[in-house]
Amino acid sequence: MANFILRKAEPKDVSDILRLIKELAKYEEMEEQVILTENDLLEDGFGDHPFYHCIVAEVPKEKGTNGFTVIGFAMYYFTYDPWIGKLLYLEDFYVMKEYRGFGIGSQILKELSHTAVKTRCSSMHFIVAEWNKPSIEFYKRRGASDLSLEEGWRLFKIDKQSLMKMMAEE
Amino acid sequence: ELAIYERMPDQLINNCFFSFILVTIIELERDGFSQNPFYHCLVAEVPETHKSTEGHTTVGYVLYYYTYSTWKGRCIYMEDLYVMPDFRERGIGKSLVASIAKVGTEQQCMHLQFSVLDWNKPSLDFYMSKGAQDLTAKEGWHLLRFDGVALIKLAQEAP
Repeated sequence: MANFILRKAEPKDVSDILRLIKELAKYEEMEEQVILTENDLLEDGFGDHPFYHCIVAEVPKEKGTNGFTVIGFAMYYFTYDPWIGKLLYLEDFYVMKEYRGFGIGSQILKELSHTAVKTRCSSMHFIVAEWNKPSIEFYKRRGASDLSLEEGWRLFKIDKQSLMKMMAEE
Repeated sequence: ELAIYERMPDQLINNCFFSFILVTIIELERDGFSQNPFYHCLVAEVPETHKSTEGHTTVGYVLYYYTYSTWKGRCIYMEDLYVMPDFRERGIGKSLVASIAKVGTEQQCMHLQFSVLDWNKPSLDFYMSKGAQDLTAKEGWHLLRFDGVALIKLAQEAP
């Protein structure tokens, strides 16, 4: 199974991207949290101001499963650290179970790191759930540092309801 | 100033603290004020009559950008929030966060995210009082990074 290509996602890929997003969310036991639609992905990724970038991994038709040839993806965007400048943030990264162990994930990561270096990013950041030992090992083997453990960073969220309450208080 | 607070919470700075801030004024200008900005910034300004002892009228700021959640869609990420110590307890921090909340809801963002250091109790208390949820504690999320040599090595690795 060395036969695969990586390419930039196109508008026609949104249905495959959403399918893979839901598969990854299911693995993370958060499937019911996915409220994004194909239309959102289309508007937000391929409009005048893209909120994300995406690369997909594709196998030839005869190697596909259930008719699907897009078997992996990575979604990323650019963020900013006022100390070191531009960063590449990896939001989602997933390869279908049947296609793992063939170097597809490693090649995606290599492609992303190329993009990061080419676009003058100092660093590539992402989050991983602490119970997801296979992923943490995968990243640490390749030189990633855990900033939550090493520096004490904790991720926080304020949801829409609380945001509106804050605005009303001002 | 914020960098000093985050790196050396209990001590005064040594002369070499600037070595880990690599961004220059030129880069901040290029990256925030071109056609495709990588960040946005709101500043808190006081009148001349209330300026700081060093003569500054810009006394606080919040730096943010837009991110994307594959579960929810558009989000807003607060990268830095800071108010000079002499200007705290006046509601400036609260106003800056509320301004971000306004920008976020106007841009149809589903939530506001940010990171806080685990020892930073004043900030942790402030955000929790505003309805923030600690996703590291609640859902076990850790922030990871490939930088410097690790990033270059990754880019060069054979498949």
